[in-house]
Amino acid sequence: MDIGYLDIVVAPWGSLRKCCVRRENFNYLSGKIDFRSRLLILTLIFFLIVPFLLSAQSFKPENPIQFKIKNAGITVDGLISDWEVMVDFDPKKLTQSSIRGKANPESIQTGIKLRDKHLHGREYFHIEKFSFISLESKSFRSKGKNAFIGIFELQIRGVKREIEIPFTLSQTGKQQMFKGEFTIDRLDYGLGEKSLVLSDEVRVVVEF
Amino acid sequence: MKIKEWLSRLPLWLYGCMLLPLLAFGLSKQDASYFSFSDIPRIWTDEAMKDWELPNSNPEYSAQPVSEEFYYNLPERVIYKTYPVYHPDHEPEGYWEWLHEQEAEIVLDESKLLTEEDYIKAGELLFDYPIDTLGAVISTKHVRNIDFYTATEMPLTPEGIMPFAQWVVAGKGKVYLGNLSCAMCHTRVMDDGSLLKGAQGNWPGDKAFAFALETDGASERAIQNITSFLFASPFAEGDPHGKLLAAGKEAILEAYRAVPEGAFGRQGTSILFPPQAPNLIGVKDRKYLDHGGLGQHRNIEDMMRYISMNQALDFLNFYGDYNPIGLTKERLNSGEPIFFPGTYDRHSDAQLYALAKYIYSLSPPKNPNKPSELSESGKIIFAEQGCVTCHTPPLFTNNKLTPTDGFEVPDAHYDKYDIFGISVGTDPGYTMKTRRGTGYYKVPSLLGLWYRGPFLHDASLANLEDLFDSARLKDDYVPTAFKPHDVKTKAVKGHEFGMELNEMDKKALIAYLLTL
Ligand code: HEC
Ligand code: HEC
Repeated sequence: MDIGYLDIVVAPWGSLRKCCVRRENFNYLSGKIDFRSRLLILTLIFFLIVPFLLSAQSFKPENPIQFKIKNAGITVDGLISDWEVMVDFDPKKLTQSSIRGKANPESIQTGIKLRDKHLHGREYFHIEKFSFISLESKSFRSKGKNAFIGIFELQIRGVKREIEIPFTLSQTGKQQMFKGEFTIDRLDYGLGEKSLVLSDEVRVVVEF
Repeated sequence: MKIKEWLSRLPLWLYGCMLLPLLAFGLSKQDASYFSFSDIPRIWTDEAMKDWELPNSNPEYSAQPVSEEFYYNLPERVIYKTYPVYHPDHEPEGYWEWLHEQEAEIVLDESKLLTEEDYIKAGELLFDYPIDTLGAVISTKHVRNIDFYTATEMPLTPEGIMPFAQWVVAGKGKVYLGNLSCAMCHTRVMDDGSLLKGAQGNWPGDKAFAFALETDGASERAIQNITSFLFASPFAEGDPHGKLLAAGKEAILEAYRAVPEGAFGRQGTSILFPPQAPNLIGVKDRKYLDHGGLGQHRNIEDMMRYISMNQALDFLNFYGDYNPIGLTKERLNSGEPIFFPGTYDRHSDAQLYALAKYIYSLSPPKNPNKPSELSESGKIIFAEQGCVTCHTPPLFTNNKLTPTDGFEVPDAHYDKYDIFGISVGTDPGYTMKTRRGTGYYKVPSLLGLWYRGPFLHDASLANLEDLFDSARLKDDYVPTAFKPHDVKTKAVKGHEFGMELNEMDKKALIAYLLTL
């Protein structure tokens, strides 16, 4: 797991710590922390965190992120293979569900090495400065059986934008399989510039 | 070196030659006739010259041009009628004598230029007009010597005309060989003998210069001096030109002879890393001029600046404290004229405007290669292989600059220039070790590949096939066009695109390239 990825895993801790601090403050105001409330906090932490850790492990999906873009009338297929997701998704509890993903743009592959290198550069992903792409769910709504629409915040090159991603879920036992497809305008994220031959639209397929 | 000092070191023949223009023309027209056409821009302003050129790859040594005041104090060029130069075996009976009976005729009257067409026509005249009669490259005795043509494999027209130089008649009996017209380096004699103005020239200029130096019996010192004026860049890492000079007369002459047709060691570039002579047809749409993109080309003024600078005021540039012809700043600004080819006079702004209009008007000849099934499949390969990203239709260039290996793009350049931030890995010599080097190579347009060559910035490959031949990446490769004088083999590195295609696909790709 790379360090960057820790952000996501640690995020729940972050908010919990804030909550703890507030409690301490509260106790400070009220005198001192008694044993019972300490126990309460620990129990809370236990019950809050442990199930979360169990259900929301991050993992590296087998399938790379795929994208397609038209260049001079030809569709170029590309992959981003190094990525991780953390899923806590229950179709019955959409409001509590979350999906987060983080990808390493350095792992981009388009079949031409020099092109990949160029995509790393500052005109595209500028990986020296922006080492990850992230996708974080904001909300979900159902769109029929096993079909959903998620509102996500997509961050590329430091630019954050909300996008809507329709996706499907197929569940066998405990195994969940997600598949989503969406289109972005690369110019929204400062990926390259307007071009006569390279389309602005990039189609992205994510499966895990 | 002080100007007096280097003047004193020059061989007498060259020294004598320097007086010729005075004898020939008197001093050029001194009073600038003011031009009626108010649209003619004043191009050499201190403000505009400040950041028109890109910095040198070694920015401390970026060119500092002469001042606006200096520039506009130079007399304007007078344009005399010129006459064609024939191979001695083809010269019409009595031509030489006839030439000597002609009077000087001034053929360009700027006050008569009114319409766009007038300018274009005047521009063509200027394109063919030599700015030098000092013998800057070759002189009368060379072109009247049959050996000159065999030694240089000089292309000729079917009439036996050598189209790269002209006779200038500056008065009755004053017939001088004119050098350094644009036509000298930017005209191509096609396979069928026709002339294509503006195309990648095929004048074997450096071979011709070697012939001249050799047959004139120029001394080692003289050859070192002139080569130093043209190419020295002592501030470049490893000082390759200093080493060449130190290697002596024979090595220097060999280096000149190694430069093939279709490339030319223009001043400020190199015979060690010679620039391909560019195709001027279509130059209007290019955003950068020179292989390294030294001159920005944002409008016609920039083109005019480029022409003026390169004909040949860049000899007066300072690169740090270094001046190529050994001037000091005091000497430069002393008010005394400097008698070096191309530096004692200038084109008027109207002349530059006409020249620029003319080269903008150049159009390509009709392409005999029609689209075919093969070329159509090549077109798809061109897209699949990602060629389109850099060689983007319709110009077949994205008009960007690619940094060469070892050049770190300064952050500020991303905002100022059009940078495609990846090296294609070709030879860095020209752009890292010459006075014109910027650290970049521009992405060239692929239009008109069918009527030109050799290819790449250093003209190292004779054929398109060679570009996609992976054998060229190995050290035992013999470059098919430019090969440095001091090696037997050399890898032609970089631009490794389309190399992994199978033979059939390569054929298709090339068939497509030839239709552009
Ligand atoms: C002695 C040979 C010579 C003469 C004379 C000459 N040129 Fe050039 N020209 C060159 C070479 C060589 C280059 C490429 C220089 C480089 O890339 O460093 C060049 C480059 C250019 C370019 C830049 C084109 C591009 O795409 O980068 C223009 C424009 C140009 N010349 C116009 C002219 C005009 C107009 C004249 C006459 C006023 C002229 N040249 C005279 C040899 C010559
Ligand atoms: C990354 C950008 C890039 C890509 C992709 C690219 N080229 Fe180039 N190409 C260049 C540059 C830069 C040069 C000049 C290199 C030099 O001279 O040092 C060049 C030179 C050439 C030349 C020589 C032109 C001349 O006037 O000498 C040809 C032909 C060419 N490319 C064809 C292709 C083809 C065909 C492809 C695809 C298989 C391709 N290029 C892909 C950037 C690119």
